[in-house]
Order: sequence, then C-alpha cells, then structure tokens
Amino acid sequence: MVNIAMHGTPEHLTACHECDLLIEQVANQPGEDVICPRCHARLYYTTPNSIERLLALSVAGLILFIPANIFPILSLRVFGQSQSEIILQSAMSLYEGGLALVALLILLFAVVVPLFQLIALFYISSTLHYRWEGRLLRQAMLSYQHLRGWGMLEIFLLGVLISIIKLKDIADLDIGLGLYSLGALIVVITLSSIFFNPHQIWHEIDLHRKQRYADD
Amino acid sequence: MTDHPSPRRTARNSGYLLCIDCEKLHRISQEGQHCDRCGARLHSRIPNSMNLSWASLLAGILLFLPANLLPIMTFKSFGQGEPSTILGGILHLLEQDMLMIGLVVLIASIVVPVLKIIALTILLCTVQFRLQTNLRQKTMMFRVVEWIGRWSMLDIFVIGILVALVQLGNIAHIEGNSGATAFAIVVLLTMFSAIAFDTRLIWDNGMPEADLPPENTDQKDER
Ligand SMILES: [Zn+2]
Ligand SMILES: [Zn+2]
Repeated sequence: MVNIAMHGTPEHLTACHECDLLIEQVANQPGEDVICPRCHARLYYTTPNSIERLLALSVAGLILFIPANIFPILSLRVFGQSQSEIILQSAMSLYEGGLALVALLILLFAVVVPLFQLIALFYISSTLHYRWEGRLLRQAMLSYQHLRGWGMLEIFLLGVLISIIKLKDIADLDIGLGLYSLGALIVVITLSSIFFNPHQIWHEIDLHRKQRYADD
Repeated sequence: MTDHPSPRRTARNSGYLLCIDCEKLHRISQEGQHCDRCGARLHSRIPNSMNLSWASLLAGILLFLPANLLPIMTFKSFGQGEPSTILGGILHLLEQDMLMIGLVVLIASIVVPVLKIIALTILLCTVQFRLQTNLRQKTMMFRVVEWIGRWSMLDIFVIGILVALVQLGNIAHIEGNSGATAFAIVVLLTMFSAIAFDTRLIWDNGMPEADLPPENTDQKDER
C-alpha cells in the first residue's frame, strides 16, 4: 500500500500548511473541501474546469484592463473648469506633489500588480490548456502566489466611491467609462482568484511535465 | 515509516517538511535545498520568522503615532484651508452628516490597523511565551487579520484620487502631506509582519489534548 515516490516520500501523505499536522491524503469529491482536523485550514479541494475558467477570465481581464486604464474614471467640473483623471494620474499627481513613496505604492497596487497577475494567469492557463512548452511555469506560479493580496483594485474602487461622496457637494462629477471598466475588471479578478486552486494547478503542472518528458 | 499517521504527528517530527509554495512533502533532510516541483527553497519553518515579524510589527507601532498626528492632506480654496490628519478628516465627515462613509474610513484607517497590531502582538506573544490556549481561534484570527489588513490602504487611495482630481488652481486644489507616507509605511510594515509570521509556530509548542481525537481512534475506521 505504501507508495514510495522518487524522493522517498510516501505519496499518500501530506501536511497542513498552517499547523504542520501530518495527514493522510484521501480522494475528495468535487465540491467537497478537505479540512485540517487540528486547525481547520482548508487543505485541498476540487475546482471543476479550473484551467479553462482561468484562461477565459485572464483574457477578459487583460482586455478590460485597457479601457479601465485609458478612459477617465471621474471628471469634475467647477466654475466652467474641468478636470478628469485616469487611475495612473493618482500616482503621478502624488509624485509631483513630493510623495514619491505613496505614489509608487499606488502605482504598484492599483496598476502593476493586477496587470502582472493577469499576465501570469494567462501564461499559466494557456500553457496548461494548450500543452505548450512553458519554461516559465514555475516562476509564473510562484509570482502569482506571492502577489496574492497585493493587488488592491477593489480597495481603489471603494476609494473612488468615497471621493465621489466627499466631492458631490462641492462640484459636479461625471462618472467615466473607465470606472465601469474598472468595476467589470474587479469582478473578473475576484472570480479568477476564487477559481485559482494552487494545489490542483501544481498537480496539473506535474502531469504537464511528465507528459512532455514522455514526448521527448 | 508509519502507514497511517496519528493525529498528533506533524510533518516535522515525522521526518518531513512541506514546501510552503507548492505544498509538496519532502524529506526533512532536504532543508535548505530547492523544491524539485516549484524551485522554491525548502524550509521546515520560515527562517527568522519571529525576528522579522517582531521587527516589522514594532517599527509599525512606532510609526503609527506620526501617521496619525501628521497631516495627510490639505484642501485649499481661494488660498484658504488647513492641513488635516486622518482623524480630522473622519471628524469632518461626521460633522457634515456623512455618517456612513465616516464610519467606513474610521474602520479602514483606525480600527483595522489597531486591531491588526493587537492581533499580531497576541500571536507573537503566543509563540514567544509558549502559550497553549485557544490555538485554533488564534489561527482563525490570523487568517482574518491577514485578509482585512490591506483595506487600511483605503485612505491612501482616496488621497491619490482627490489630489489628481482637484487641481483647479486657485479655485480649489488638494495636496498630499507627509502623514500619508507614514501611514502607508505602517500598513506595509504590518503586512510584512503577517507575511513573515509562520502559523505553524503557534502549534509547535502546544498540542492541546482537548482539541484532538483520542490517540487510539484509528483513522482506518473512519474511512
Ligand atoms: Zn492544520
Ligand atoms: Zn515546492
């Protein structure tokens, strides 16, 4: 019964990533979570069609990223003067005002990280779906996993809503196409983080690599 | 090598270590080597976890005061206007009967960072002083804190949006102030502290009997 893998680790064993309890792997039904008996962390679960969903969502996200970043999210009119802004300008204005670090953080959390995560997700899902070579699969997975939590578009959107309420008595505000695109982009990113099942994708990467070795 | 792990055995005391990045199980002798599946460096516990986590947290606590005392932004209209702090901005919202968003900003900018600092202090003390109570609740608290901590960036985004939008020369303009930098660093430091913290350390010292099924319950019977 004991199945010794290449490095002398029995394949039916795993450990809880939150409390280190050694656990015997059991086959789980789709939709059924396997929970750590000691700390109640979710150990593994099955996401049906995970790769296909992630592929579709990452393409949608990359497309939506463009209008969300090139069209104004808000425009403000006071005494005939008007001012509109795109996401990037929040960072630029702060930089010009001397708050370079805050500007850099906004640039990273609201633009760079979400874009990089979408690209990594597209790379991972397309490589696994179309069985491409995928030399950077490991790096793409590690970067996506380590960047989870650092993309903050949904917090940025709440910031926009608060700004609207703060300014609505002082000036006339127009909501731009950028804001609607941003809303849609956040839905897509949230769904993709729900369907991103690391345990399952690493397993697919194992299979992918074995298949490619077999082909050679 | 046991066929059926007992509920009290950890990977570490059974001679294994788990790759934290891809969750593949390795022999503990591979400590410091690279994982053959994901390429990350293998460690049974995050190296220097306690030192890094304490250092980031204490630095965050120190900066929390200037972050709240220094002005974060200034609204100027026709040459008039004074710099405001985080708390000042919240009070201003409450005065203007904007109760809902006043509360949202209060929770994101003050309540969440304070709770996060308290929670991380409790967790670090649990490991430091080998406390053995409510470990499951503490693990749960860590998950919550890790998830809500990032929402403290809300006020930083609001400042960025207002500064970019309200640039109407003499009529009205908003500029950011140094309190915003201090506050952003506080949020960053508490996020670093949570990342450096290894939840497995909570469980290393204590294995409360009450939380576990009795030793003689063989897992074979359950399946
Ligand atoms: Zn556990
Ligand atoms: Zn690994």
